[in-house]
Amino acid sequence: MKNIPDRNFDALVKPTKIHRSLYTDPELFELEMARIWGQAWVFIGHDSQVPNPGDFFTTNINHKIPVVLIRDKENRVNVLHNRCGHKGAKVVEARSGTARGALRCSYHGWSYRFDGSLLKIPNEQGYEGTGFDAEDPCYSMQALAQVGSYRGFVFATLSSNAPPLIEWMGGAKDCFDNLCDRSPEGEVEVAGGVLRYEHECNWKFILENLNDTMHPMVVHESIVKAAEQYIATLPPEAAQQRREAEIIPPFGASYENYEDSGITGFNYGHHYDGGKTSIHSDYSVDPEYHAAMVAAYGEQRTQEIYAFNTHNVCFYPSLTIKCAIQNIRIIRPVSVDRFIVETWSFRLKGAPERMLQRTLLYSRLINSSMGMVGPDDLEVYRRTQEGLASPGNEWVEFHRQFGRDTELPDRIMGGGTSDLDMRTQYKAWKAYMEGSIFDGAGQ
Amino acid sequence: MNDRQQIEDFLYYEASLLDQPDLDTWMTLFTEDGHYWMPATENQHDPINHISHVFDDRVMMEIRRRNFVHPRSSAKDWPIRCSHIIGNVRVEDTSNERQVTLVTSNQHVVVWYRDEQRVYAYRGTHELIPTDDGFLIASKRVDLINPAAPQRSLTIYL
Repeated sequence: MKNIPDRNFDALVKPTKIHRSLYTDPELFELEMARIWGQAWVFIGHDSQVPNPGDFFTTNINHKIPVVLIRDKENRVNVLHNRCGHKGAKVVEARSGTARGALRCSYHGWSYRFDGSLLKIPNEQGYEGTGFDAEDPCYSMQALAQVGSYRGFVFATLSSNAPPLIEWMGGAKDCFDNLCDRSPEGEVEVAGGVLRYEHECNWKFILENLNDTMHPMVVHESIVKAAEQYIATLPPEAAQQRREAEIIPPFGASYENYEDSGITGFNYGHHYDGGKTSIHSDYSVDPEYHAAMVAAYGEQRTQEIYAFNTHNVCFYPSLTIKCAIQNIRIIRPVSVDRFIVETWSFRLKGAPERMLQRTLLYSRLINSSMGMVGPDDLEVYRRTQEGLASPGNEWVEFHRQFGRDTELPDRIMGGGTSDLDMRTQYKAWKAYMEGSIFDGAGQ
Repeated sequence: MNDRQQIEDFLYYEASLLDQPDLDTWMTLFTEDGHYWMPATENQHDPINHISHVFDDRVMMEIRRRNFVHPRSSAKDWPIRCSHIIGNVRVEDTSNERQVTLVTSNQHVVVWYRDEQRVYAYRGTHELIPTDDGFLIASKRVDLINPAAPQRSLTIYL
């Protein structure tokens, strides 16, 4: 990082516009990896992926740094740097699995307990009298600076200055509660596999698009029309059985509908649209599921849970969740013009399997690389990436409803078609990049 | 002409429709309850309780076709063309109760879109129903050799 000159971020981020180099400059991307992804709490995985000691899941916490999520014999879930304490080889290569006894490096056979501590070095007598101390923690697999978990969702950060996870999440935490409370048992688990979707553009586009409610009626017009018009030709009894009819057409909702849904922003760049209403509000309720919910919570609380209806929630910068759908998307940056989106689906424990099947149908229809919505979104991101190479205009603007946002102590609220989400995330972007984001945190 | 030649000719015909692509005619190759399935992982058993890249019945094929030709579908501003090469055709089973002919093949598809060529390779599994003048497809399964890898946008059936 030291060879990258620092920037004047005041000159790049204004209250209602940002400079185009935020999307195109490879050096700025490296700074983002160090200062945003290197400081923020980044989503790593979910408890249910590692139910037993030795179960592990590997990923990168930013574009490069490999980490492993692993449950140890004391039933603690650890996030470790996936790097041998000896020569530095990645210790765990598989994406997921179960380790037996210990983690063993494939290079010189150093082995580690599931909490990362060094267990054994082969032919150890060669180190006698050399000053090497196997008890020195520097020879362990290192834990991340901080690891936190909320209702099974595990985050880690490379920063020891980050405030506690729950404080960092702020009011956006309600969305994890709502996702889990939609289970009659109050718990969710990862189920049904993962979609991995390559995006040939800057990673920030997808976060900007989540709550950009001025785009769906334009970008998704063709699929909404195709679905609505064809389903209308089906016999009513056939049309009623099409769950696609609930999922696809709401993407064509009017400006007025989106405006009513509202956008809420939080510290550290988090934001969501919806709350009272969203494009997922009018989904039918499965009678068997509803009965299980009422049995668990009572009718009033059940209705409260249904009524909190957000569309997309962004935990800046790595995670977006859909409470009402029970899927999440994880952002994995690769380079200034490439990132991977992973879509994971969740089972609501205690709910009929039809609920998971609906989640999977949604993920397949909307978020797949062969989906009916995602590819049209990616197409406009790609065009934006290409267009921003032009110096014809140095700025990307986000004025919509500027000055009309309502500032509350812990959040900012505004109209559903405002650019409040852009202002929220770029305020955080600038503070992360300037290094001031956690000044005063936890005090 | 023997059965094997008929089967191979049918696969070539199906591929030629996808190459152009002529989705209107291609869809008519499927039975009314036919499916097209591209799993998202190896050895996937289930299209309902596990995620897939695509699992379309005739209704979804029709919605996709209408989107494909819609003038406002921005991903379609560029023409898309394919070239399928089919090999290793094996007629696995013709003797089951459902009168289904199970055929597997290796298919390599070069897709041309927006000044770029991409290569896909898959094992195809067709369930074919013999008819008076050929076959209908009861199901087509497309097992990419890299189903779990990050996939780029795919706006055409392979």
